[in-house]
Amino acid sequence: MNPILTSLPPYVVLAAAAFLVLGLPRRAGHVAAALATAFVFAQAVLLGDGGTGTHLATRLFGFDVVLFNVDQFSLLMGVVVGFLATAAVLYAYGTEAPKWVTAFALVYVSSTLGTIYAGDWLTLIFFWELMAVTSTLLVWQYGGAAVRAGYRYALFHGIGGTFFLGAVVVHGASMLGSVPAAEIFLFSSTTGIHASATVLAAIGVGVNCGFIFLHTWLPDTYPRPHVAASVFLSVFTTKTAAYVMYRTFPEGGMWLAYLGGFMAVYGAFFALLQYDPRRLLSYHIQAQLGYMLAGFGLATYVGEFAVTGGFAHLFNNVLYKSLLFMAVGVVIYRTGVEDIRDMGGLWREMPVTFLVYVVGAASITAVPGFNGFISKGMVIDSAHEVHNYVLLLDGGLLWWLLILGGVGTFMSFIKLGYYVFFHGSATLSPKDATPFQTVGMLLAGGACVFFGVFYTQLIELMPFTELILSEDVYFKPYSTSHLTESAALLVAGFVGFFALKRPLGWLAHRMRDVDAVTYPAAFYLGRASVWGVTELWAAVDRAVMRLVAAVKRTAMHPRAAVAGLGVDVEIRTGIGRSVLFLTLAAGVALFAFLLG
Amino acid sequence: MTDVLLPLAIAVPIVAATLPIALGLRYDDVGWPIAAVATTAVVGIAAAIAAEVAVGGRLSHALGTYQPPIGIELVADPLSAAVLALIALVSLATLAFSRVAGPRGNPFYSAYLLLVGGLSGMALTGDLFNMFVFLEIVGITTYALIAADRSGASAYASLKYLVVGTVGASLYLVGVGYAFLATGTLNMVDMREQILAQAGYGDPLIQASYALIVAGLALKIALFPVHTWQPDAYQRAPDAVTAVVAALVSTTSAYALIRVTYTVFTVDFLAANDAITTAMLVVSGASILAGSVLAAMQSDLKRMFAYSSVAQFGMIGAAIALANETALLGGIVHLIGHGLLKFGLFLGIGTLALGYGVRRIEDAASAAREAPFTAGAIALLGLGLVGIPPSVGFLGKWYIGVGAVESSMAGAGPAGIGIAAVIFVSTLFTLSYVARLIERFYFAGVGLPGGRADEAAADHGGDPAGGPSDDPAGVVADGGDDSGDGETPAGGAPVAPVAGAPRPSLVPDRVPPASLAVLLVTALVTVALGFAGFALAEWFGPFLTEVFA
Repeated sequence: MNPILTSLPPYVVLAAAAFLVLGLPRRAGHVAAALATAFVFAQAVLLGDGGTGTHLATRLFGFDVVLFNVDQFSLLMGVVVGFLATAAVLYAYGTEAPKWVTAFALVYVSSTLGTIYAGDWLTLIFFWELMAVTSTLLVWQYGGAAVRAGYRYALFHGIGGTFFLGAVVVHGASMLGSVPAAEIFLFSSTTGIHASATVLAAIGVGVNCGFIFLHTWLPDTYPRPHVAASVFLSVFTTKTAAYVMYRTFPEGGMWLAYLGGFMAVYGAFFALLQYDPRRLLSYHIQAQLGYMLAGFGLATYVGEFAVTGGFAHLFNNVLYKSLLFMAVGVVIYRTGVEDIRDMGGLWREMPVTFLVYVVGAASITAVPGFNGFISKGMVIDSAHEVHNYVLLLDGGLLWWLLILGGVGTFMSFIKLGYYVFFHGSATLSPKDATPFQTVGMLLAGGACVFFGVFYTQLIELMPFTELILSEDVYFKPYSTSHLTESAALLVAGFVGFFALKRPLGWLAHRMRDVDAVTYPAAFYLGRASVWGVTELWAAVDRAVMRLVAAVKRTAMHPRAAVAGLGVDVEIRTGIGRSVLFLTLAAGVALFAFLLG
Repeated sequence: MTDVLLPLAIAVPIVAATLPIALGLRYDDVGWPIAAVATTAVVGIAAAIAAEVAVGGRLSHALGTYQPPIGIELVADPLSAAVLALIALVSLATLAFSRVAGPRGNPFYSAYLLLVGGLSGMALTGDLFNMFVFLEIVGITTYALIAADRSGASAYASLKYLVVGTVGASLYLVGVGYAFLATGTLNMVDMREQILAQAGYGDPLIQASYALIVAGLALKIALFPVHTWQPDAYQRAPDAVTAVVAALVSTTSAYALIRVTYTVFTVDFLAANDAITTAMLVVSGASILAGSVLAAMQSDLKRMFAYSSVAQFGMIGAAIALANETALLGGIVHLIGHGLLKFGLFLGIGTLALGYGVRRIEDAASAAREAPFTAGAIALLGLGLVGIPPSVGFLGKWYIGVGAVESSMAGAGPAGIGIAAVIFVSTLFTLSYVARLIERFYFAGVGLPGGRADEAAADHGGDPAGGPSDDPAGVVADGGDDSGDGETPAGGAPVAPVAGAPRPSLVPDRVPPASLAVLLVTALVTVALGFAGFALAEWFGPFLTEVFA
């Protein structure tokens, strides 16, 4: 293995490229950026051939850290992040993204890679917090409405990061004694995070994963910045969070699986109610994360098959979700409209974009022949083995949740496609995608189709490849039952959308997400606590000052104070009393010294 | 071994004390020049003695034709040389202030020189009865000096001191008498040997003797609860007298206690009599606490620092009773350092009173704006008194505290830790009253129409001592604020110079330049000595080695 590959962490390359983007002319800078991201991809691919291991292991502040941890999981993340980042850089170049957007995006991808390649909890939490900072900068760069949304985003991720930091500290403290003190933070010392830090870690990572009630930053933030920035944002934070969730809980847990199931339904349902295309897609991020977490959650109950399904879905999701953001981004870029009811009939005007959208939508809705079909099928198959709370058709609650989420996904992408590309005649006549946008989209879209058809290639990239491809596991994506299932979902989606179009439209104007309650609550809670602390401090201050004044008054005018108690005496010592004191003192001294 | 310098240090001021009276029959105002010449001579003699002690160690001189132990012996060792140097320097420096502040007249300077002679005698004598004589000389001249401005209050303070001081000195004399009964000698070094040879440390006569000597000297030092003469005396005496008395009289009495305790009765006596050291520690601790609390309660500046002396001498008393080398070094350093600090503080207060009529803490608003150098020096000395390094005030307290903790560590019971805790509490109280003063100086009265240019127009009827300046032009025209005649805050009006206050050319302070110079030098010396911890330890090393041998 070439030592350069193992000693040069990709995040350093990307951080350097970010400075090049700022320093060089726009075209040269983007070339440098694309080369850097392509290097990340190539490095991950090459390291897959026997390059695994803990590279750059060193010691910081007395703790062993691994700055470049290469294993099956981090490699698959490296491959897809590098690939997609390259496509996104090309797309950003074609979308007239300012230099600062690309530079911030590269630093953001760099911190993402740092998180991915971390081999210990300290390195992980460092890059995790850095990721929150850099992504906030990427949002803020756009100005306008993105600033306030970015501020809320920063608050969410600051709180989540603090929870996760607390989890790491608790983990380290709990590990003391069981392993040498220097090794308490290493991944290799344990399986996942210590049990005592479970709740803290779940909340901390859960913010980034978009757990229900912790997800409102997602649809709040991602529709607001530059369309190219949205492409970057939509894939890295959440998918890295899913990856970290697996690192944290490699043995999964049914709580995680059911949470994933409910996220799939919740996200798909709220996506159905949206008219801002990027907001709609943002809710789908939550829904798709639900499938991944369902897969990871079944790690113990079902086994490696479910984990592989989760990772395959993660991998595919990076490709098609960014593809969808790219396609929608092109429409917004060309029309300037951010409400799908104001669009329509664009399939004639923008055939390339339409085609790309269809590929992305087919992938996310798991149409046979596209990559989502493979991975979502694996997760749903895993869920089918769970027979708790069995409902209809021999399917458990989890399975039904995922199926329901699938139907909702179909419905909302039919809705999105219908409103944007059909829906009456074209009132707008924009141009189609720019060449570089097209290149970026073709890269991502091509990968979607490629892995849908040559699905064994997908499995080759995954962990546990031999197990999945062996005879022990039933893995036939294109079996009749899967095709039937997919067709049923498709039909249900079409029927559901056109049957429920009117009630959903009615609901869309009335149904608000939890942020309608949580944001004002947080605001007034914050204001009340500031007021409370200020007033409490003022009260303490007043009380202390009054006490001090009373003490001072008594001390300054002791005779008046004593007189207040009804005793009027001369306190000052005159000559007679002085002599008395002296005599007494001498007497006491004699007494003490002689008898002592 | 005879050394004529030792009797000279006593004889020069005492003989010179006759001159103002004698020459005053023919000339007016000869007192100050005579006093200046005589004290300058004493400074020279003290320097020579210190140099000889530094080179040759202990000096001694037999007075008259009788040899010790029958005759009277004068002795100088590092401790007495240091105290003599302090006496000489302070008495010379005070003259710079008394020339402008008074009291005036030839009899005052006669008494002043007599006081200096008495103090030198106390520092140098090697004879217990002779020490009583000098103690009385010091006492009587102090009574006279306190009443030197002939006001009713000072007469009362003087009378009070006279009565209790005489009783205290008598107690000392009775104590010496008991010791003489037991040993048949009055020479200090001889008595040390005779106590062992004839009586022993458990002899009731010896114990009673020490008890009476301690009680008598405690009164002269002004330890709680026999301090009652001291605040009145310091407050009511003329400012120049307060400066010299506060710096020297109690200090020399404390020196006498160290001398009697360690040279005559010795460490072994203290070790053999636990009850004695315990009682002294209790009294010292009470003195530290009571003095600090009472000082924090005062509004009159001189009375405040008078009570502060009660606390500081409590620390020195504790250092004596701890009978521990570090603590005793701390006690001696604090003895000298506190003398300098108090001299500077009372000099500064007197100077400020002379220029601005400031007597009480409330009157001192914005003093730092009007008199930056005077106020700055007082603040510096005050912080030294608190014990903020680098200052000699820190060194003394530090050594005493360390010695106290050491003695507890060495198994001498919890008293040492108690003393250390009491010193800490006292430091907080000291900080509280010094901070009050600094707050007055630097922050009170801000925003008032305080510039002197404004005062020509505005009426300062509220200021009892100052009153409006008759200076229409104004020296510091930029002193006026643009806030106009705003509401007067609780801080009161800023200080204003009294009519006819001096107008030095170099500084904005409206105070006598000579006393300001002395004040600044004193403040700087206390800070410089703060860096001299090792030098001081080395200087007093021979004495400590001798008494702890």
